[in-house]
Amino acid sequence: MKVGDLSVYIDMSLLKPFSKLPALNAATILLVEREERFQQNLADALVGDTTVTVNVRLAKSLPLPMDNEESRPRIDLVVFIINLTSELSLKSAEASLKYLDPGYFLGKVCFLATNARNTSVPTERLDAMRKLAASLHCPLLFAEDQTPDGVNSATERLLTVLKVAAGLVPTATALYLSSLTRCTIPPDIDQPSFE
Amino acid sequence: MDDFGRRLLQRLVRRTPAQALKATLGKWERLTVAQRQSVDFTQPKVAVMEQLVAIFEENGWTVKHITELEMINYMENANRGMWHAFQMTDPKDDANAVEMMQFKEQFKSHLSELVRHVSVKIKKHTDEALWIRIAWGDSYSPPNHLKPTYVVHHLQTPYVFVTSLNSKQKPFLVQALILSTGYQGIKDANLSGQKLTAIRDLLMKQYQQIFPSKYNSPLTEKNETVSNPHIEREQSEHASKRLQMACEAFGDGIVPQLQTAVYKLETKFRGDANTNRTMTKREGPFRCLVKFASTNLLESFRECASSGIASTPVSPLLSSITLKGRNYFVVTENGLPSSQT
Amino acid sequence: MAEMLHLSVTSGSDSSALSDQSASSRVGNRSLRVAEKERRKNEAEDPFVAALKYFSDVEAGTPVVGNDDFENNLVLVEKVAYSRGLHPEAISIMLEFAMSLRMGTTPCVRILKCLIPASVVPQEAVVRAWVWLTVGKIPTSTQILFIKWVLTVFDMIDGKDHLRAVYGFIFSFVTDENLSPFICHVLYLLTRKESVRVFRVRKLLELQLKLGRQPYLLHLLSLYKVFCPELVTLSIPSRLRSGFKNHNNPWKSALSAVQKRNGCQVPSSTSLLFTNKDKTASRKRKHRHLELPALRSVTIQMDQTASSSISSNSRMVVPLVQVHSFAELLENIHRIELPAQMGSLLGSSLALQYLDCVQDESALLRLNFWLGFALHEEFLFCGDGASQTSEEALLFLNKLLSTQHFLQEGFFSSEAFLYKFLNFWDGSLFRPQILDLLSNIPVVPSTKIGQLLFEPLMQLFFTSSLFFKCGLMECLNSMLLKWLTWHSVYALEDDLDISLNSHTSINMTLSGFKDSVMKLIHFVGRLASVGLQLEGCHSVLLSFILDFYETVCDTFLKYGLPLVVVPPPGVFYPALMATDPVSVDRLAYIMHRYKVNLMSAKTQEKVTEAFYISRQTIREFNHYMVVMVNCLWNSKMFHPGMGVQLGEELLLRSNVAQHWRSFDLIHHPAFLSYAVDFHQRCWPARRDMDLNSIKLAKPWSWYLEYLYSQGYDGLKQIVPAH
Repeated sequence: MKVGDLSVYIDMSLLKPFSKLPALNAATILLVEREERFQQNLADALVGDTTVTVNVRLAKSLPLPMDNEESRPRIDLVVFIINLTSELSLKSAEASLKYLDPGYFLGKVCFLATNARNTSVPTERLDAMRKLAASLHCPLLFAEDQTPDGVNSATERLLTVLKVAAGLVPTATALYLSSLTRCTIPPDIDQPSFE
Repeated sequence: MDDFGRRLLQRLVRRTPAQALKATLGKWERLTVAQRQSVDFTQPKVAVMEQLVAIFEENGWTVKHITELEMINYMENANRGMWHAFQMTDPKDDANAVEMMQFKEQFKSHLSELVRHVSVKIKKHTDEALWIRIAWGDSYSPPNHLKPTYVVHHLQTPYVFVTSLNSKQKPFLVQALILSTGYQGIKDANLSGQKLTAIRDLLMKQYQQIFPSKYNSPLTEKNETVSNPHIEREQSEHASKRLQMACEAFGDGIVPQLQTAVYKLETKFRGDANTNRTMTKREGPFRCLVKFASTNLLESFRECASSGIASTPVSPLLSSITLKGRNYFVVTENGLPSSQT
Repeated sequence: MAEMLHLSVTSGSDSSALSDQSASSRVGNRSLRVAEKERRKNEAEDPFVAALKYFSDVEAGTPVVGNDDFENNLVLVEKVAYSRGLHPEAISIMLEFAMSLRMGTTPCVRILKCLIPASVVPQEAVVRAWVWLTVGKIPTSTQILFIKWVLTVFDMIDGKDHLRAVYGFIFSFVTDENLSPFICHVLYLLTRKESVRVFRVRKLLELQLKLGRQPYLLHLLSLYKVFCPELVTLSIPSRLRSGFKNHNNPWKSALSAVQKRNGCQVPSSTSLLFTNKDKTASRKRKHRHLELPALRSVTIQMDQTASSSISSNSRMVVPLVQVHSFAELLENIHRIELPAQMGSLLGSSLALQYLDCVQDESALLRLNFWLGFALHEEFLFCGDGASQTSEEALLFLNKLLSTQHFLQEGFFSSEAFLYKFLNFWDGSLFRPQILDLLSNIPVVPSTKIGQLLFEPLMQLFFTSSLFFKCGLMECLNSMLLKWLTWHSVYALEDDLDISLNSHTSINMTLSGFKDSVMKLIHFVGRLASVGLQLEGCHSVLLSFILDFYETVCDTFLKYGLPLVVVPPPGVFYPALMATDPVSVDRLAYIMHRYKVNLMSAKTQEKVTEAFYISRQTIREFNHYMVVMVNCLWNSKMFHPGMGVQLGEELLLRSNVAQHWRSFDLIHHPAFLSYAVDFHQRCWPARRDMDLNSIKLAKPWSWYLEYLYSQGYDGLKQIVPAH
């Protein structure tokens, strides 16, 4: 009995990609960001897309609260926004990952890193970020969150991935796209300028 | 004007930006309009200096007048140097009845009894604060006007703010203050900063405070973004709660501008005994100094807490800054911040 | 005519107005020589001259305290220094006086602070001062102040050769812990290839062991490494902070004020001094690399004509800035002195011409070194909250691009920068510039091309908008074009060993080059197939892809590269079935060019056996041709053996009558409107439209003629009308 309870509990807290039916001509994206800064800007830009109805859910971390379970539409794409200047940001995303059903990792998870070009980002964190994304076969996008152009570009790219993940592009599936865009660990090209 | 006067004036001119100097001279009632207009502040400081010296000599003004000017200058530009707050304790019955003339007289006489050579100047600022300029000397030397101490006191309050006071002179000042204000003791308030107004506001609680309440405060409504029906915050209650708690701890609106907060830890090292034997075995407290610095510390803290970078509810260590009005803490083994004195 | 008259009148009134102005501004408008004369004359009566005489003649040991003469004279000098600046002679006298400690150390700092040059700083004075540094007992802080002053006025020093001659002497100060950050900076500015010696490298490494990895040591070492990579085996961290700080603080405001005041009198003004120093300024200033310093005169003001001054110049070096035309450049090419600030070369076409002709390796190395750091610091290693899309950054990149276009090759530091940058790019920041830079990169060895280029680009391509996809296609097409052009220019006669980049020593064999090109073409083929699939065969994207294949199909005939790669089915079929006739026609043209190239290659093969075209390629091409002709001309779509096959039942269920005809030139969605139009013109009286009647022999040839007359020449070349 106890074991059953536990499994029920785990089931509830896991976010699943196919537990609900999709809505017509709509896509839902979940933006997870510890700092809750960039996600609002992105959300405002994302809902501006006119070709499909985009629903945006914002969260600080996973698991999502049970209370909203009913009202929450099927989530087609989970985006972890990671501010690379903060170790906590990466750690929090890592901790949230385990509340996702494995089904999501077939092309419905994406990492969006900000501040990658900042002086205060240690190389180790950048490597850890890449390794995380590569090990989960997820794409890792970089975004310039400081400028309007950067936000627009990030929005466009997320929409491209979202539309495929939500099944709105008849010629491609989420898994297919992710096989093309998944993160790879770049070689150590640290020193070509001095060779 | 003698050499010393020149030096004093030169220092004043050098340290003050041209515009501030102009304003100060305007506030000083001794200059005629013509004299004031004759000074050209666009030229190099050296030349301004020469012009001022000429005016001073013409009028036969001396060191006394220069200190007067300096004091006005200081009152207008109070955010210089490091201000330390003191709090007087154990008021006598008449502590609240002290009025200005009486304080002025008593303070001067007490101080000159304690120190042989001392020059005291007291002036009332527009905001009811009493400004005291003390140039210290000792039994053998005349008052040193190059290193004056400034004291700001609001009558009928227990608070005193002091800048550039050295430890030798501290007992004299304390003594004179106690004797002339009707209090029996004085202690370090453990609060210091570059902005006099900020530490005054913090101590006297003159900033917008938010008090905990069960009901939704206007804060949460204020902060709820008018959002698109397609955007939903999954953990919306968190954000408003965090903002509420951050404002409870650090105040709303414009907060006093503190620059630092220092925590001196005197605790035992806690950790795995196996991994760090040298640390756990050592006797005596584990000393460590934690210093937060920012151009506006309270605002930074509030931002950190409301944005979720720092955890909420805010640690009592941090909220004590506003609660107790201080920015220097000694944290001892029992975990609660305690005073140093 | 009237206009001219008007002009001359105004200029006349201008000059008359001028004469009313004060004497000082009049001086400014006269020639320099006159100004100089006048100044000299003024000085004769000037107490300032007397003051200088005092400082040059004063006896050693004269007391400072209570010395009114000294005080008055110094105040006088200070006044002149802060208002007009000191002329070279005055600088020499004052510097000599201060550094010789003739009146002790007290006045030293005060004098150093007022050494504001009006024009240039005589080199000899600086060298002498260096020597005094070891003789007298100057306090460390004053020593540092002196070095800071040297750094501040470095580009105003009238020559560097004597300073370079005492390189070793200056180097000896490097062991002083207090001085070494500043000494390293001076050395950095003075270093030439000859100055890099084993014992100096060893000394620096020793110091590094002692002091830790100090950025200033690393910076100097990395410059040494650029000059002599064989001497410095140390690995330099890529995320190296700029090692040198800005030291112009005590002089900055006074110097700029003096320069502003003298602006009209001294043409070779040093107003750019600070942008020049910005190269090593503190991190707080954003984009400090990006203000390109203008090429500046560092030596004699030129009153005479350029040539006469050059001939009178005893040192026989000519600063690049004094060369004003290409002819002068040619005349003096053997004795050009390059400026300390290599970045300034980017802005000057003459300097670039010089670089290009002389192929001075060390100059290029320095330029690359500077550029690499500038790009790295500004775009990969930014400070907090930097607004990255600043105007300056844009200007800088554009300047870099125009330089690269001028030289017709990329810098290897910008190439290395791109490989890193692509890994952090959001696909929009400086998009036009980055794509343009990318198209300029030289051929990448095929073993590295995948990791360096393809992986980051693939991710960007598939996650980005249609607009980006088109942009990248265009960029890759222009990259291929440049590679092929390089090949056709640099390929040696024996066709085996080609030096790709004239300046870098990357040698590549022909087969290596072919491998790289092939990989690039295959990569683009993959991007194109999947891109078309994802974007629903968007005709704009298709057009950019066909542009690329127009380059690819002609590699042999146009660029002499023995390589033929046919497009993948993912490109061929979407183009064949495109809804716009232009795409279909361009595909036909491309197939025709392939045919011409292959036939020509075949005949070559017979003669020289220069290269071997795989049967697979020919088979693929033939298949495409068959499909194309069968589909468009012969109405045999969906026949067995064609590329597109559908089950018989499925075709029946679709209820399309005569489905095999649905993609011929009459029924093809792209040409249907032409067929209808033709039908109406041909049989205007007919009420019922029967398109199939066009297929009859006579109307068919008319119809083809009609199509060709509409500009569809590609089709004509595939099947010429008989």
